Amino acid sequence: MRKLVWTWLSLLAVSTVGMAQQTFPRNGAYDERPGRYAFTNATIVADPQTTIAKGTLLIENGKIVDIGTNIKIPKGTVVTDLSGKFIYPSLIDLDSDYGMPEVKRASGGRRSGQQLESNKKGAYGWNQAVQPEMRAAELFVVDGKKATDFRKYGWGTLLVHPHDGIVRGTGALVTLDDESANKALLRDQASAHFSLDKGSSSQSYPSSVMGSVALLRQTYYDADWFAKGGKNAESNLSLASFNQIKTLPSFFDNSDKLGILRADNIGDEFGIQYIIKSGGDEYQRIGEVKATGASLLVPLNFPAAPDVEDPWDADIISLAELKSWEMAPSNPAALVKAGIPFALTADGLKNKGDFWTNLRKAIEFGLSKEKALEAITLAPARLARADDMLGSLKKGKLANFLITSSDLFDEDNLIHENWIQGKKFIINDLNAADLRGEYKLTVGSNSALRMRVTGKANKPEYQITQDTLKLGPKVTLNGEQVTVTYQPDKKKPGTVRLSGYINGRDIQGQGTLPDGAPVEWSATLDTTRATSSSDTVKAGRPTPKQPTFSDMGKLLYPFVGFGNEEMPKSETILIKNATVWTNEADGVVTNTDVLVQKGKIAKIGKNLSASGAREIDGTGKHLTNGIIDEHSHIALFSVNEGGQTSSAEVRQSDVINSEDINIYRQLAGGVTTSQLLHGSANSIGGQSAVIKLKWGAAPAELWIPEAKYIKFALGENVKQSNWGDAARSRFPQTRMGVEQVFYDHFIRAREYDKAMKAYNNSRNKNNVTPPRRDLELDALAEILNNERFITCHSYVQSEINMLLSVADSLDFKVNTFTHILEGYKVADKMAKHGAGGSTFSDWWAYKMEVKEAIPYNAALMAREGVVVAINSDDAEMARRLNQEAAKTMTFGGMSEQEAWKMVTLNPAKLLHLDNRLGSIKTGKDADLVLWNDHPLSIYARPDYTMIEGTIYFDYKADQEKQERIAKEKARIVQKALSAKSKGAETKKPEGRSSKLLQCDDIIGVHAEEIK
Amino acid sequence: MKKILFAFIALLPFGGQAQNSAPAKPQAKPMVLTGATIHLGNGVVVENGLIAFDNGLITAVGPSSTAVNRTGADVIDLAGKHIFPGVIAMGSTIGIQEIASVRATLDFEEIGEINPHVRSLVAYSTDSEVTPTLRASGVLMAQSVPQGGLVSGSSSVFNTDGWNWEDAVLRKDDGIWLSWPSYLARSFNYDDFSFTTKKNEKRAETISLLESTFADAKAYSEIDKPEMTNIRLDAMKNLFTGKQNLYVRANYAKDIIDAVKFAKKMGVSKVVIVGGNEAAKVAPFLKENNVPVVLGALHSLPSRPDDDVYAVYELPAKLHKAGVKVALSYDDEWWRVRNLPYQAGTAAAFGDVSKEEALMFLTQNPAQIMGVDAMVGTLEKGKHATLIVTNGNMMDMRGNVVEHAFIKGAKVNLDNKQSRLYEKYKEKYGQE
Repeated sequence: MRKLVWTWLSLLAVSTVGMAQQTFPRNGAYDERPGRYAFTNATIVADPQTTIAKGTLLIENGKIVDIGTNIKIPKGTVVTDLSGKFIYPSLIDLDSDYGMPEVKRASGGRRSGQQLESNKKGAYGWNQAVQPEMRAAELFVVDGKKATDFRKYGWGTLLVHPHDGIVRGTGALVTLDDESANKALLRDQASAHFSLDKGSSSQSYPSSVMGSVALLRQTYYDADWFAKGGKNAESNLSLASFNQIKTLPSFFDNSDKLGILRADNIGDEFGIQYIIKSGGDEYQRIGEVKATGASLLVPLNFPAAPDVEDPWDADIISLAELKSWEMAPSNPAALVKAGIPFALTADGLKNKGDFWTNLRKAIEFGLSKEKALEAITLAPARLARADDMLGSLKKGKLANFLITSSDLFDEDNLIHENWIQGKKFIINDLNAADLRGEYKLTVGSNSALRMRVTGKANKPEYQITQDTLKLGPKVTLNGEQVTVTYQPDKKKPGTVRLSGYINGRDIQGQGTLPDGAPVEWSATLDTTRATSSSDTVKAGRPTPKQPTFSDMGKLLYPFVGFGNEEMPKSETILIKNATVWTNEADGVVTNTDVLVQKGKIAKIGKNLSASGAREIDGTGKHLTNGIIDEHSHIALFSVNEGGQTSSAEVRQSDVINSEDINIYRQLAGGVTTSQLLHGSANSIGGQSAVIKLKWGAAPAELWIPEAKYIKFALGENVKQSNWGDAARSRFPQTRMGVEQVFYDHFIRAREYDKAMKAYNNSRNKNNVTPPRRDLELDALAEILNNERFITCHSYVQSEINMLLSVADSLDFKVNTFTHILEGYKVADKMAKHGAGGSTFSDWWAYKMEVKEAIPYNAALMAREGVVVAINSDDAEMARRLNQEAAKTMTFGGMSEQEAWKMVTLNPAKLLHLDNRLGSIKTGKDADLVLWNDHPLSIYARPDYTMIEGTIYFDYKADQEKQERIAKEKARIVQKALSAKSKGAETKKPEGRSSKLLQCDDIIGVHAEEIK
Repeated sequence: MKKILFAFIALLPFGGQAQNSAPAKPQAKPMVLTGATIHLGNGVVVENGLIAFDNGLITAVGPSSTAVNRTGADVIDLAGKHIFPGVIAMGSTIGIQEIASVRATLDFEEIGEINPHVRSLVAYSTDSEVTPTLRASGVLMAQSVPQGGLVSGSSSVFNTDGWNWEDAVLRKDDGIWLSWPSYLARSFNYDDFSFTTKKNEKRAETISLLESTFADAKAYSEIDKPEMTNIRLDAMKNLFTGKQNLYVRANYAKDIIDAVKFAKKMGVSKVVIVGGNEAAKVAPFLKENNVPVVLGALHSLPSRPDDDVYAVYELPAKLHKAGVKVALSYDDEWWRVRNLPYQAGTAAAFGDVSKEEALMFLTQNPAQIMGVDAMVGTLEKGKHATLIVTNGNMMDMRGNVVEHAFIKGAKVNLDNKQSRLYEKYKEKYGQE
């Protein structure tokens, strides 16, 4: 039955509009109407800069014909007088899945088996997550229920696309008209959409963010090749579509501040400026976000107030969470201040109504109303390149507008009507009686009654009193008809029923008393008591004092408790009278001064002085180089791209997490440089990112791009020995297969390199299809050309031997074997090949391939001439690498200085950075640690850790930071308590911590126990 | 067939190679060690000291001037060396775990939730190739502990040398292990690879299961000859007589309080908190109730991003200063336990305790907690001569070269699989 009514209603709608689909046959007589309407005497906010007082808006056939004052209204126009009302352009949202099919995500987890190929039917591309052929306009259906909800809050137009996959095809610009897709669709292929989330794709690749980046980049290169002649080699509907959508406004889905930088990097490579969806947290990295030049789609889903009543429970809430609760509403204002163009989106809000609550909050936090209006109308229209028809009220544009009771952003504002393509949708009846006020109520002979009407105009609250007695009535208002029931005596059952109508400002009618006797009644507005309606509202409900921009705490870089309020700066520093571990021929020298200038070690000697230098007394202390961790997985959003047996194309630099607290913790353990390696899920892993731990700086500033490394892996992890029965389909499953993976890939890389060089050197490139650029083979070719270096995860001697002979036969070098726990068995061969070893001090017994690992490994290898480093592969151990190095003295009797080099100079050599890192020598980077004790002692910790002359860890300042964290937490906790007491919605305490990643992390859950 | 093949493969590495060396023979004649710095394990150091032992027991300890009968004794001059009590590793899986990824070598976790009757005692393997590597770092006693479930089973304390579990054991079934249902539960988010910690909704239900189990066990323990034997409940009866400890794994402050109150309510007299991340918050409560704490691996990261970066390192000293008895452990680790001495070093480096006080966390305190302090834990007359001789401070890497070790007076062979491989490859390369 319900369905029937609905159908009937929508049919009714069809008949009221002109310009219905001409090609469609009619059931019954034609009913086309001109749709000519004029709205007069309104305050028209035509665009953020233009307000027309007492203006007229004239529309016809769904379009604006004229706007302004003194407009001649032609005959045959329906005229509505809007005195006291406002007209605004209606809202546009660019990030919607309205009318799109539901996206069913593939179930994750490594137990679900592996799918190496696409299962999409048709001559499409190889990866299910790349669907440029997807076309929102083909999928679009009018969804009456959702459309009603959008319209209710003022939206008129949406840019919709299925939120599914990495390349999501084209979006459709649609209105929220409720008739047919044909009418609602304004523009097919209005936009192109991208993300790094593979969505419903069940294919194994990509399984990580950096894999997604690589896949998207490769798709651009493939499409280019396809256009330049590849299409003669293969049919590929996906690449053909991709080339068509490249020129459209390109939107990039994303959910956090660093993701904006990542997406923009991709765009830069291909000359595309994406419009990027933000996470609402970009105020935390506003400078970097601004520098991208990207326009943003900004959500308004502010965090709920944390529930902090129980202090122990609240301990799990981090300062960052507290601060983001406090500061998130300032995000839009911060964007305006920084001059970043943006449009707002309701995406991510559970209730659309929260959009307005939050938008008003953003205005309280400093967003101007003009900018707010722009961000929901003109800005989105421009970003979608649809400002020719949308976004403001102008002659020729679509008649998409709102009629409101007051200023759009007023808390009490009512949207009366939402007009879409010239069609009226009533939200709150324009003519609805506003009964708010105080009335003398007379029911029959009883004239001692009073009726008070308060609340919102569209949601009035009624109260009937007799003297002080409250008789809670039930009142229904239906147009001009009023029904009132109340119980005059609470102790006696019996209800008075009244029926009446509005007469001017009064109400009158007839009713029935409990005993059935008819009665006359009336309610007369008491003008002496009734003040303006808005006053009554405010009297009824005190608005809580909102937090404002001015009483917020400071920003932190990065945005975590131990972040910096001010970024530390490079200083001129003179360390006096320390014991200096030079790692040079001088060895350890006592009572020595070291001068640091412009980020470099400027002088080493006795009794140095420098004017203006900050002097640090090193008496009784030890000055060393910063520790270099050759094998680390901190500060990364993901570690493994395990979807394929080779993922040489992926780059850890795409997933650097500059906000990871472990950066700071490791500075507190004397670490200054880390090689962030891909994991060991596959034989050929991804490209490393070597970073300096410049706490507070953004990813690009941490990264040392010239250190070009790649992770390889051998043994149990790459053959998936410990991954359960689901992982038995990917090649290789044995060490025999692993060898062939390397042969196959390097032989292909050699052929590729040859073809590329031949093409690049050829004079005549016309009419020649260029070889297809392959990011995976690029990386391998770099190895062959000695431009990129291998760090290979390895354990047992047979596999070490194997890779050495593969490398020798194909003429490439293995730069470093990492883990290399049986390196001691083949140290002579490694030394001959020139391979280094980066190992654990004492790890063993965690799996079969480490049952013969020994803590004497480092010493045995070192004495055979192998360059040996001690690494961590573990966020905790990394902050004690000085102690791990010391174990080579316990096991194998290394000298102190040799032991110390294993965590400083030797890893610098392995990373080919020993020209600037690894020893205390004039001209090298001032990456230094001043220890309070002998650096190889269990009792040592840094007093200072500096990188390039900038102090990033200072033991004393650390204590101050702890106090600051406690104070800042206390301050915001008090604020949250007061918000809760004033009725703010709160969220139960929840702690969040990022997973500590290690070599084996594929899906995350399993690898904590196995290296 | 597949299964058989697997078992065969798994056995291979242990079948084909040199075995652990023979356990030490009982002490045959008196020993006198002189000239070393002797750390007694109770906070006292004797410079230029003397220690004498006979028939496995210490007969004298003091300055080198101490008069002892040297007739027929081996007298060894250890000037410049250090003597420490053997390190005691609590809460480990030593002897019941060999290679983590090979299921056939794992004997520390039974199925089921309530397993008080399962005992590490009988699964403890004296043939583990890991154990000799621990001895070589000074770990001479180990508590081997069943893991998993709510009530994991019963632990025993062993000397790390012996022909079989029967002669290695120092104290059988010293306690039952309970994993307290956590106030906060952690869940993993696939979306962003992070963990969320929030209130555990199933906690009350689990506690009520524990309450009925302990109530039933208490009632059962009061019957002399039950009509129907219940070996689970039977295994718990010594909890109510004070002969066994109840070890409760609990980390959050609220869990620690609830767990201790639970034990008292159930009539358990000796309760020990294991883990104790947040023990500092409830230190006065622990002191008042005389509850010791066995901390988990000190070499771990703070649990929250805003925590003091050295918070974990500072914890033992904080508790000690507040009057709570502390022992250090390496969680449920096995091979890593050889680094346990360094945790005491860390406790002294970052906390307000002396090196000798920190040593107590590995010696006197664990012995007292496990009820073996009449035999071991400190170097005192009448106690076992279970001690090590090192080149320096064993709590620092540079001083942890163990030169001699004695377990109950018997001189232990410090050779192990790793040192053998070292020798083998030194030979290969002609290294000295």
